[in-house]
Amino acid sequence: MLTTLRSRCSSLLLNQSWKLAPNRIFASSPSFSSSAGISNVSEILTLPEVEKILADVKADNVTVIPTHNHCFWADFTVIATGRSDWHLRNIAQALVYRAKQKQKGAKHVMLPSVQGYNSKWIVIDYGKFVVHALDEKARGYFNLESLWSAESSGTDTSDQDLQNVFVKVRPKNNSKRKPAKVSS
Amino acid sequence: MIQPQTYLNVADNSGARELMCIRIIGASNRRYAHIGDVIVAVIKEAIPNTPLERSEVIRAVIVRTCKELKRNNGTIIRYDDNAAVVIDQEGNPKGTRVFGAIPRELRQLNFTKIVSLAPEVL
Repeated sequence: MLTTLRSRCSSLLLNQSWKLAPNRIFASSPSFSSSAGISNVSEILTLPEVEKILADVKADNVTVIPTHNHCFWADFTVIATGRSDWHLRNIAQALVYRAKQKQKGAKHVMLPSVQGYNSKWIVIDYGKFVVHALDEKARGYFNLESLWSAESSGTDTSDQDLQNVFVKVRPKNNSKRKPAKVSS
Repeated sequence: MIQPQTYLNVADNSGARELMCIRIIGASNRRYAHIGDVIVAVIKEAIPNTPLERSEVIRAVIVRTCKELKRNNGTIIRYDDNAAVVIDQEGNPKGTRVFGAIPRELRQLNFTKIVSLAPEVL
């Protein structure tokens, strides 16, 4: 059932290229808009629809964090808490089923990517936004809200500075390079 | 290009500090691993009082390589170190944060959890 769906999702998502917002290092190339139908998997569901689905399956503590300022790969991040492993799978199945229902009769069905289906942290990747369904302990362990909130950025910098000191940069061996031979 | 006996830095806060690759997961005789491949590694250095200890055998995802990563639009991404993120058998990261820059190809390879924890995605 969902195993076949997940393998089809993976093959679909690997083939298409992600139309993400241009990052600040590379110049943005002009994106060609397709004329017919849905061109991106993130246009299947909108954010109020996802919140309604999460309310229908009774997910606890739904938090919507706008992350278009912090990271350039997703505009919104939705974090939901499930009560058990089966509840997490029901949240993921409801989101995939709703996306499937909206495209009934279409020639090409584009489904979101579900990662970690049998674990305590399920990620449903719609492209423009990402839904994280976590167990209560996993939510406290990973603490995803503090990643994108501005209050804890001061304390997080000291941890990053400590880790940057620990990263060993490989010394470049320039002595192996032969000097350029001057011809004639 | 990561192969067995390659040393890698660790890009998360799981407690491991340095890894040595011992096996590349995939085909039966894969020779090299690139960004996004899962390897079996042994922890060569560990921070004390953390859940991971030295000489433990773990799985890791390669997130940065000195070998350049080519993209379809002609750009090349090359890092200064080889780095990996420690994962468990189900694919969840062991640490709670990922440090440094992460290429965005990991998302297409279904590692959105690692991309979610990273501060910068190139």
